[in-house]
Amino acid sequence: MKIFDPHIHMTSRSTDDYEAMARAGIIAIVEPAFWLGQPRTHAGSFVDYFNSLLGWERFRASQFGIRHFCTIGLNPKEANNPKLSAEVLAILPRFLAKDGVVAVGEIGFDDQTDEEEACLMRQIELAAEFKLPILIHTPHRDKKRGTERTIDAVRRAGFPEERVLIDHNNEETLPVVLATKCWAGHTIYPNTKMDEQRMAALVKKYGTDRIIVNSAADWGISDPLKVPKTIEVMRQQGIDEASIQKIVWDNPVAFFAQSGRLDVSGLEQRPAVDRTQKFATNSVLRGDQR
Amino acid sequence: MLHAVQRILSAAVGTGHLDPSTPLLTAYPAAAMRVGRGPLALGERDRRELHAVAPGIGFERWTREDAARALLLIAHRAGARTGDRFVADARACFEQGDAREQESWLRAIALWPEAKSFLPDAIEACRTNIVPVFEALACENPFPSQHFPDRNFNQVVLKAMFNSIALERIVGLNARLNPELSRMARDYAAERTAAGRSVPADIDLAMQEPR
Repeated sequence: MKIFDPHIHMTSRSTDDYEAMARAGIIAIVEPAFWLGQPRTHAGSFVDYFNSLLGWERFRASQFGIRHFCTIGLNPKEANNPKLSAEVLAILPRFLAKDGVVAVGEIGFDDQTDEEEACLMRQIELAAEFKLPILIHTPHRDKKRGTERTIDAVRRAGFPEERVLIDHNNEETLPVVLATKCWAGHTIYPNTKMDEQRMAALVKKYGTDRIIVNSAADWGISDPLKVPKTIEVMRQQGIDEASIQKIVWDNPVAFFAQSGRLDVSGLEQRPAVDRTQKFATNSVLRGDQR
Repeated sequence: MLHAVQRILSAAVGTGHLDPSTPLLTAYPAAAMRVGRGPLALGERDRRELHAVAPGIGFERWTREDAARALLLIAHRAGARTGDRFVADARACFEQGDAREQESWLRAIALWPEAKSFLPDAIEACRTNIVPVFEALACENPFPSQHFPDRNFNQVVLKAMFNSIALERIVGLNARLNPELSRMARDYAAERTAAGRSVPADIDLAMQEPR
C-alpha cells in the first residue's frame, strides 16, 4: 500500500518519526505552513520558517526516503495582528513561486474575525494568481459555521471548488463539504478531531470520492502513523484495498497534482537515501559522516 | 481602589521587591524569585475588602508572585507621567513575558483604570494554547465580560468548554448570554454527540437564552 500523508508538521517531529513513517510505508508528505504553538511577532520569523519548510525540512525528509512537499500561507491564528499580517501577506508571493509548494495553506478561520476573513480573501486571490490549490483549516470552535463561511468565501471569490481541500472534517461538516465540489480532509488524532473507527464509519457511509485522511502530527499530542493505523482499521471494517488506496494515495495525489508541481510519474518510487549529502554544510548524521 | 489593593497586597507579600532603581522589565520577571511562588495568604477581612473594591477578581487563587507583579505595576503607574506611558510599559511586560508572567499580568488586568486599552492584548491572549494563561483571563476575572465584544466573549466561553473548564468560573457569563452563544453551544453539543463524545455537564449555562 502506497501512503501519502497530505498534512503533517514535520518541523515538530524527530528523526525517529521519519524512520517509523518510512517503515510504515509513507512515501510522500505535505507539510502545511501553520503556527508553532505560540504566536510569532515579527514577519522575519515567517521568512525563516518558510525557508526552513522549503530547505532544511525537505532535506531531512529526503534522508529517510520520504518526498516532502509543503504549502505556504498565513494561518488564521496569526492573522489577527493587522500590521504583522500585512507584512506576511506581502512576502508570500516570493515563496508561492517556489518549486515544491503545492498549495496555499493552511488558511481559513480560527476565531472567525473580520481580520481573518480579509487574510483569507487575499490568499484566495494569491492562489488564483499562482494557479495553486488551497488547503483550508477549519476552526476548532464553531466548526460547522466556520466551514460554511469558508465555502461562502471561496464562492464569493469565484475560486474553483475542485481546487479546494477543506481539512479537519467531522460528522457535522463532512456532508456540508461533500455538497460542494471541494475535497474533504480528515485529521486522525489520538484525542480530538477524528479517530480511526469514526473515519471508517464515514467512509462506509459516504464512499471514497474526494475523501482524504491525514495525521496532522505536530507539537501537540498526535501520531505521525495515524494514516497507516487508519488503513488497518478500515481493513478490519471490511473496506476493500482499492478504496483504501484511493483514500491514502490516489486522492491526495490527484488533489495536489493540480498545482502542476507534483511530478506524478515515479512519485511512488521511494527516493534513494544518500546520507553523504549535506544541506548548507549540515547533515542529519551525528558523527557517522562517511 | 488601587490604594486599597496596594495596601492589602503589600501587607501580604511585603514591599522588599519594590526597588525603584530596578527597571520594570527586569523587576517584573524577577518578582517570583524575590517573594516566592506560594499561594497568597489573605485574611478573611482582607479578602472581603478586596472583593468590595475589585469585584470579580479571584485574589484567593493568586500566588505571591502575582501580587508582587501587581504591586510593581501599581507603583510604576503612580510614577508614570501619563496613562499612555503606563499602558506602553505594562504592555511590554505582557509581550515580553513568559507564560507565568503573562498569567500574573492577565490576572491583574481588570485593576487598571486604563483597562480598556488592553483589549487587543486580552483578545490575543485568548488565542494561547497554554491553558493556565487562558484561565488567567477567562476565569475569576471580570475583564472579558466587562470589555469583550460578543463575538470574542463567545469564543472565550467555547474555548473554556473545549478545555473542560467549568463555566461557572467565567465571571459575568449570565449577564452576557446572547442568541449567537446559545446557537454555538447547541452546535457544539450536536458535534460532540455525533462524534460519540460526552457533552459538558454545565453547557446549559451557555445555552440558555438571555432573559
